[in-house]
Amino acid sequence: MTRAPLLIIVSIIGISNIFAATLEQSLYIISDSIQTVDSITVPYLSYNQTDSYTKDSPIINVNSGDTLKLWIYNHDSIGHGFTIKNLSDNYTIPAGDSVYLEQVFVEEGLYIYHDKEEYPKNTYLGLAGMIVVNEVNDHNFYWNIKEHNAEWNFNLTEGLTVDWENYDPKYFTINGNSNPHINADTLARITGTVGDTIYLNIANTGLSIHSMHFHGYHAEIIFSSLHPTHQGRIKDTFPVYPMETLRLKIVPHQAGEFPIHDHNLVAITGNNIYPNGMFTTILITP
Amino acid sequence: MKQLFYILFFAASLNGMAQVETTFIFSKMDIEAQHILWDNTPTMLMGFTTTMGGSIDIPGPTLNYFEGDSVELKLRNMSQGASHTIHLHGLDVNQQNDGVPHLSFEVGHNETMSYFFKAPHPGTYLYHCHVTSALHVQAGMYGLLIVKPNTGINETWEGGFLYDSEYAWMTSELDLAWHEDSIINHPHDTTTMEVHLPDYNPDYFLVNGRSEQELNNENIAVNVTANEVVLLRLANIGYYGNTYHFPMHLNARIISSDGRPLPSIEFSDSLSIMPGERYQVLLQSTNELEAVIRVDYINLNTQTVENTQEISVLISGYFSVSENKYEAINIYPNPSLGKLHFSTEINEIELYDLNGRLLKTKVNANFIDITDLEKGSYLINLDGQIKKIIKK
Repeated sequence: MTRAPLLIIVSIIGISNIFAATLEQSLYIISDSIQTVDSITVPYLSYNQTDSYTKDSPIINVNSGDTLKLWIYNHDSIGHGFTIKNLSDNYTIPAGDSVYLEQVFVEEGLYIYHDKEEYPKNTYLGLAGMIVVNEVNDHNFYWNIKEHNAEWNFNLTEGLTVDWENYDPKYFTINGNSNPHINADTLARITGTVGDTIYLNIANTGLSIHSMHFHGYHAEIIFSSLHPTHQGRIKDTFPVYPMETLRLKIVPHQAGEFPIHDHNLVAITGNNIYPNGMFTTILITP
Repeated sequence: MKQLFYILFFAASLNGMAQVETTFIFSKMDIEAQHILWDNTPTMLMGFTTTMGGSIDIPGPTLNYFEGDSVELKLRNMSQGASHTIHLHGLDVNQQNDGVPHLSFEVGHNETMSYFFKAPHPGTYLYHCHVTSALHVQAGMYGLLIVKPNTGINETWEGGFLYDSEYAWMTSELDLAWHEDSIINHPHDTTTMEVHLPDYNPDYFLVNGRSEQELNNENIAVNVTANEVVLLRLANIGYYGNTYHFPMHLNARIISSDGRPLPSIEFSDSLSIMPGERYQVLLQSTNELEAVIRVDYINLNTQTVENTQEISVLISGYFSVSENKYEAINIYPNPSLGKLHFSTEINEIELYDLNGRLLKTKVNANFIDITDLEKGSYLINLDGQIKKIIKK
């Protein structure tokens, strides 16, 4: 009985070392396509967990103290790159080549990995994903938000130039999907019950500012890569700046189905059709 | 006189506080271009009015409630066309009263339906139509909703910041192409929500529906006396971002957002407000001043400033001795090692570090002990009057 408190203290102090791990992950850069909400197939790039293409670059989960060993294979016909924004060096990867890197994650947070070669071209074309450090419960959801101009995707992959200073996107997606398809994505569509503690991890890998508004609930900013001093703010509308991340905590006080959408209401459209853009719903049961 | 006005205002308002409030609002659409913009260009609007015969203006009427009021908001749709709703933006009402067509109800032409809610946290909120929201909001179907604390005094929330006067500014843009009859008078098909919209290239950049020289309007331009504490209620319902630039001498303090106090207030001469966000800011100048507050309108895709509007600020004269509750307060000794004394008793004392973190509070006292503070500079708020103090 008398030793129990001492054992507990030792366990708490040692917790980060006990659970620090070395994780191994491979990423394959593959050039393929994405389909818009109005069924246009446009060129797209992504990092993939295998050498089979999917449009979604994977979410990588680690804990603080962990070491991530990454092998990145470039299966595209042109050179690409890899960096973890605000964290790692930049690595260039010639066509058909690969790189290996190790990254230790010291601090909790939400990071964007991407290809910053010829920035913003390759990131815009899809080579960007997120790394979540320290997931804290089972109720985590993930939004990789961005915009697209289909004509630009064709031009860029054909080696033509585009006028980045007059960027004018036509499609707005969460994890590559627009309304009504976002709700079919279990990583994106927030579900839970009243009183749950829910975390939403948002990475804006696009070029536009998105101002995400919650109906029905306020949420708390747990992590902001751009504005660390905003941690603890409780709001219903959350600007997410290009290449920045935000982690929110939601504890639903009421049941219901409520929209969450970009309050730049132009971003609720898809190729000028309303409501085919960045619009989803949160579903909370009693 | 000003103080007396506020006392009388609140005495009158108290009669209506924390009770059942019924508000009637009409949704309408212009049958021709009749809303006149600052350069005399006419345009068509959809919007809200408080009377059946009233002209549509942007923004719509401001809805004012006190914390705890039980509200019935009746919407009568007289638009001759599309259905409408009222989304109570930020109030976290239940699904039935949230005003989203396919998740609750919509109000068809010539119908009257009610939204029920309890006025929540004091703060600045919005309301807008959520039917084909991108179009109906651009068309003019929006307004402010303000909830005040149920305390009978000018304070931001119960136990919050005291203020003397307030201004509410709602920013938006207007693209004339979206107001053409062929667009604004869109066919309403209840079996589909899909509507084709033009590209968005706004022609007008608005504060409370006004721009350019119209911003000298007495309800928009700031005209107060030195030492007055001014509460700004700022809301962005547009599709561009805004950045406000406050003259340094206004000592802007950002105190809350989206109906909730910030964990630590922020002292800043600029503030960005993105679509759907609201902020509350306190201004206070200790000197006479003639200046402008600039409001930038930022294209969210290119992050370029597309337009800047200017709101004039005139700080003239001082409260007279009989009117001024913020009479000149002497602090001594300053710098100090231990106790800071004040020349008069202060109702509310707040001491902040230079990052805006609240370190100490005290009420009804003529001194505060700073023995335990690190050496350095701090800000002290004495009943709304901010001064710099130094710990030796």
